[in-house]
Parts: sequence; structure tokens; C-alpha cells
Amino acid sequence: MSDIELSDIVRNLLGGAAWTLGLSLTAFVLGGLAGLAVLFARIARNPLPRRLAQAYIEVFQGTPLLMQLFIIFFGSSLIGLEIPPWLAAALGLTLFTSAYLGEIWRGCVEAIPKGQWEASASLAMSHVEQMRHVILPQALRIAIAPTVGFSVQVVKGTAVTSIIGFVELTKTGSMLANATFQPFLVFGLVALGYFALCYPLSAYSRMLERKIHGSRAH
Amino acid sequence: MALVRIEALHKHFGSNHVLRGIDLDIEEGQVIALIGRSGSGKSTLLRTINGLESFDDGSIEVDGEHIRPQGTDLRALRMKVGMIFQQFNLFPHLTAGQNVMLATRIVRKMGDDAARDLAKSMLLKVGLQEKFDAYPDQLSGGQQQRVAIARALAMQPRVLLCDEITSALDPELVNEVLAVVKNLAAEGMTLIMVTHEMRFAREVGDKLVFMYQGRIHESGDPQTLFANPQTPELAGFIGSIN
Repeated sequence: MSDIELSDIVRNLLGGAAWTLGLSLTAFVLGGLAGLAVLFARIARNPLPRRLAQAYIEVFQGTPLLMQLFIIFFGSSLIGLEIPPWLAAALGLTLFTSAYLGEIWRGCVEAIPKGQWEASASLAMSHVEQMRHVILPQALRIAIAPTVGFSVQVVKGTAVTSIIGFVELTKTGSMLANATFQPFLVFGLVALGYFALCYPLSAYSRMLERKIHGSRAH
Repeated sequence: MALVRIEALHKHFGSNHVLRGIDLDIEEGQVIALIGRSGSGKSTLLRTINGLESFDDGSIEVDGEHIRPQGTDLRALRMKVGMIFQQFNLFPHLTAGQNVMLATRIVRKMGDDAARDLAKSMLLKVGLQEKFDAYPDQLSGGQQQRVAIARALAMQPRVLLCDEITSALDPELVNEVLAVVKNLAAEGMTLIMVTHEMRFAREVGDKLVFMYQGRIHESGDPQTLFANPQTPELAGFIGSIN
């Protein structure tokens, strides 16, 4: 069964990789926006949003991504909503990403010394003004490295969506492996594809971390 | 009528009764030195005056703004009460000038040019006009603390609270900060200072307040009290400092 040539395999895998990249970007951008909402709920002074956000985070961090995807994909058809695999995948990964990013960012906000809150409060700034002008600009700086670092987890997380039938890099790979009987070659290439997507991100994250530790502030 | 009037103030931290009925009147232009051992409640008392610390019972009034155990208009209060901290607490992502301008722009709603002019004159007042564009980590501790003073002054407070503002400084930097405070006192600024600088308290203070176990144990003219403490606790405290 070797009438599928290597160039065909690579071309198909590149197509799958494009879907992986697209799903990763979607999940990262939408998850980032939702993560901001989670962050603000998590650090609100009112206990109700704080508890809700905490429960949200614990559900998504405390269960496997695969189960979250199953529940969204199969659960939606149970209630009569037929949603396509790509939508279930995007939705699942977005929720997953928002929970993690919200929690990472909360850590960054809480890493800002209490004195910054007290000094800005003493200047008669409101909570929102303190966040906007004093706390978030500093938290953002320390958040960049772990956020980029987490994006690697999002890229790898997209592999799980192959199980609900979303044809990204892993799913493309398993279809090709079945057709060519060359799983080692195909999955080797798949792994290489993930590495090519993730390595620049983790290298960038490390570089940012060094840069921030090297020079304080501004 | 007193600018700051504190009456029957009580506060607990859990089961620890840290303020046990404080009564204190502060007149406009007075310099109050709050002294006492750590844990005597002096910093806590200071921090109740701008609402950084809540209290359980009693009342505080600053220039017509009432602070109550519940429901205080903190914004109106804090426009009138500035504070300077032991650790300076400058905003590290902003330059000295931006530190001074920030609250005047967003709280006092000053225009950019007016805020900049005011910040320049405040930095001039603390002798740091040439550091407008320097970031806090490019400044010495003494310079940072002077920027913090300029930042508080730019809000044109009626009262300035100073919480051990020279305690984190290297000894050779203490005097440049105290000199600025001394000038403020001479200009008639009302100052409430928690301090360990006894010589400064004696020279500049109008009133010495010695706190002991959550109460004002002794208070009065600094010269007199230092020379002639009425209680063994104050005598012991003065002895342990010198």
C-alpha cells in the first residue's frame, strides 16, 4: 500500500496542522477574553462572583479536557443541539483556556505588593482606577511569560479534539497511518509538527522570563 | 475647632484589642509625633485616619469628613488626607513625574499640562526637579521617599500621615527626607507622624503622643515630656531608645 507518497503525507499533515493552528488561536484569543472575565470575577470584592469563578476554575482544572469535550459534544446532542465537532472543539478549548488563564492572571495580580494598593488607595483612587492604572500594568508585565508558556498547553490540548472527530493534525495523522500502514513515519511527522508549533512559543516564553528577571519594572 | 478629632476609638484584631479608647484632637498646622513600642497601636491608629484600617467603635472626623465603622465616603476623605509609607510604595512602572501626576489627573481631573506643571513644582519642592523622568529603581531610597512626599502633596491634602517614613532608609539618607518634612512643618502643614526619630520629634513636633498597650499613655509638649516623663513606661521607652 505504498502508492501514497511521502509528499502526499506531508501535504495532508500540513493541512491538518493549519486546523490545529487555527483552533489554537481561536481558543487562545477567545479563552483569553473569557479569562479576563474570570479574572475580574475571581478578584471581585463581592463574594458571589468570586465563588462562582472559583467553582468554574475548579471544574475545568479538575476534570480532563477530554471529558469536557465529550460533555459538550455529546451533551449538546442530548438536548437536541447538533453542534459540529469544530464548534465543540473550539468551545471546549476556549472554556478550558479561560479557566487556566484566569487563574494564572489572578496569581499575577496577587503578586503585586499590598503597598501598591495602599498607596493608590491613599491617593483617593477608586478600585477600578487602582486596577487600571496601578495594578494591571504591573501584573501584565509578569503575566506575559506564563501566558505564552500556557499557550503551549493549548496547542497540545487541541490533539484531544481528534477524538470527537475534529480533523486537525492528530486526526489527519491517524487517518494517514491507517491508510499507509506506516504509523511510525506518520506519527513521527505529527510529533514534529507539534514541536515546530510549540518550540518557538516555549523558547519565546523563556526569553521573556529572562528579560523580565533581568530588568525590573518599566 | 480641631482639624482631626478622634473620639473613643476602639479596634480589635480578632481577640486582640489593639486600640482601647483613643481620644485625640489635632489642630491645623500641628505636628504630632506618635511614639511607642511596636505593637502599641500607633501605626494602626495612623492608618484609621485615612480609612486603610477599619475600626469597631468610636469616631474620627477630618475636616468635616466623618469616618464611621461602616459606610464612609473614602474618596472625599482621602482627598484631604495624604499618606507616606515606610516602603515608599512608588509605582515602579511610572516615572517620578508620572507618579506625582497620576492621581491629580484621574482623581482631581486635572488636565495633562496643569498636572505636569504641578508635578514639576512638587518635585522642585522636594529638591528633585531633575528626576522627573527617572524611574523609581533609578533613585536612591531617600529620593524615592521624597518623590512619595511630592506625590502626596500634589493632592493638596489638609493632613499628611507619615508611617515610619525613614525606617527603611540607610542612615545617611534619613536627613534629606527629614529636611523635607521639616520644611513642610514650617509651611504649616498638619503632620501626624509615627516615628522613631526622637531627636526630630523633639525638635519639630508640637505634640508628643506616647502610646502604650492601645492607649494614649502620655501626651504633651515634646521638650517637656522628654525632659520629664510622667510615667515609668515613657521613661523606660525613652531610655531604651537613647
